[in-house]
Amino acid sequence: MVTIEEGPRRETMRINLGPQHPSTHGVLRLELELDGERIMSCRPIIGYLHTGIEKSMEARSWLHAIAMTDRLDYLNPLGNNLAFALAVERLFDCVIPERAIVARVLLAELTRINSHLVWIGTNAMDLGALSVFLYTFRERELVLDLFEEMSGARMMTSFIRPGGLAADFPDGWMQRCKGVLDVLPKCIDEYEALLTKNPMFRARTVGIGLLSADDAMAVGVSGPLLRGSGIAHDLRKVHPYCGYEQYDFKVCTATAGDCYARYEVRVGELRESIRICQQALTRMPGGPVRTADRKVMPPPRAEFQRSMEALIHHFKHYTEGLRPPVGEAYVPVESPRGELGFYVRSDGTGRPVRIHERAPSFANLQALPSMTKGMLIADLIAIISTVDPVLGEVDR
Amino acid sequence: MTDVRAEWWGQLAGVERQPGRDGIESLRIDANNWRELATAAQQAGFLRFLDLTAVDDPSRPERFEVLVLLYSPSERRWLRLRTTTSGTLASLCPTFVAANWYEREVFDLFGVHFEGHPNLTRILLPDDFPTHPLRRDHPLGDEPVDFTVTREVDAPW
Repeated sequence: MVTIEEGPRRETMRINLGPQHPSTHGVLRLELELDGERIMSCRPIIGYLHTGIEKSMEARSWLHAIAMTDRLDYLNPLGNNLAFALAVERLFDCVIPERAIVARVLLAELTRINSHLVWIGTNAMDLGALSVFLYTFRERELVLDLFEEMSGARMMTSFIRPGGLAADFPDGWMQRCKGVLDVLPKCIDEYEALLTKNPMFRARTVGIGLLSADDAMAVGVSGPLLRGSGIAHDLRKVHPYCGYEQYDFKVCTATAGDCYARYEVRVGELRESIRICQQALTRMPGGPVRTADRKVMPPPRAEFQRSMEALIHHFKHYTEGLRPPVGEAYVPVESPRGELGFYVRSDGTGRPVRIHERAPSFANLQALPSMTKGMLIADLIAIISTVDPVLGEVDR
Repeated sequence: MTDVRAEWWGQLAGVERQPGRDGIESLRIDANNWRELATAAQQAGFLRFLDLTAVDDPSRPERFEVLVLLYSPSERRWLRLRTTTSGTLASLCPTFVAANWYEREVFDLFGVHFEGHPNLTRILLPDDFPTHPLRRDHPLGDEPVDFTVTREVDAPW
């Protein structure tokens, strides 16, 4: 009697993806268990970009910490500056001039545009549509030029400081900013023409990487990932800071909870951010951009001639640095990736006791294993991309 | 301040309520009731686990202060839970799945052990890393910069 073995032998294969893989958006490493092309389990391994930023912050002054916040989420430097500045200001309880508040909204939204442009480009590139990447980086450069002109740096701006801004905008900057904002909507139409109804793009994203609303809630994800699962939670609306309640914008949501839904949310947010920026530009009041509270910001140089007190403040500021009152504070903001906040604690001296970043990417990445289960390995690339992790803030 | 007994944590002893400077109410709790309080908070509507971190103070016997940040979508507010421990604490993973990586991070950087955690291993640092660097008494550490001009001055070679 001849026996024939029935069917192929089922066995799984363990493979390693990353940390040096272009589609993992940094140095994310994944340990995959595969059954053919299908993912049985996925274990993210992080820490390849750990630089001990929180430890470094504790060893330096409060003002030095600002420069390190830039390097956490390097696609959202001004948003990080803002979250940190708000937390420190909460310790001081100082009054920020109106112009600085409006300027902060403008800058936070410009960085959101910058971040989402990078996301649309890299997401499309991961799916094989290289030209979108070239388009979005062309427009992103316009935004980065604005940052460079205003702060001297394209990415590591350190521009929003406790007490206001580092400086006022250069002459003509707002006009040029308006020019960029006028160009952008047409460009977004271009990206949408390439992607939104593209059958190949849809085939790669619709129904891929599902995350239900309950799961999203339980795993603690935030930002476009949460809104893509149908939960309209946006801190700018729910807990407005910096006067966001005065701006007319809507919270973009999609209900499907798949990669395409997250694409819809981010494109929608891009358009809303442009609207917020335009409103901020029209309402931009005059006046100073730095608080008059001398404990938070040093006095302007011109005052030294007349005021002994100003000179003392200046001296104290640059020898001892900021000395926030004893206490702790956490002030969350809506970053392009979700709820971002710095937990800061001061003991009244010039050095922080603890600065901890609640990094949205860290929590969002925890949802990756449940989103990839049973998916194909090619879909994994699309899913990682829609999580939009920035390993700088995951590993800190 | 309302009657503590009437609140959702009424069954648990030793809950101390503190208003926060940042407008986030915080509850200080005995470490023995840590998981019970977190579970009670979850049942009271604080469904989203946002953050877990620690603050070290080597001058105290219970040197680690562990802080958890929760959010209630229905009440739209945050809640901070805090406790102190000398190095061992019940894991919140059975209650909040999202606590997993956060507890691993605090274990990695502070050396706090979370009992009942499914996979308490280092997360950011290499597995064979000898110390827990975010402790306050841990030196900062540095690497000499290898400039050719300073080579003769401070380098061993």
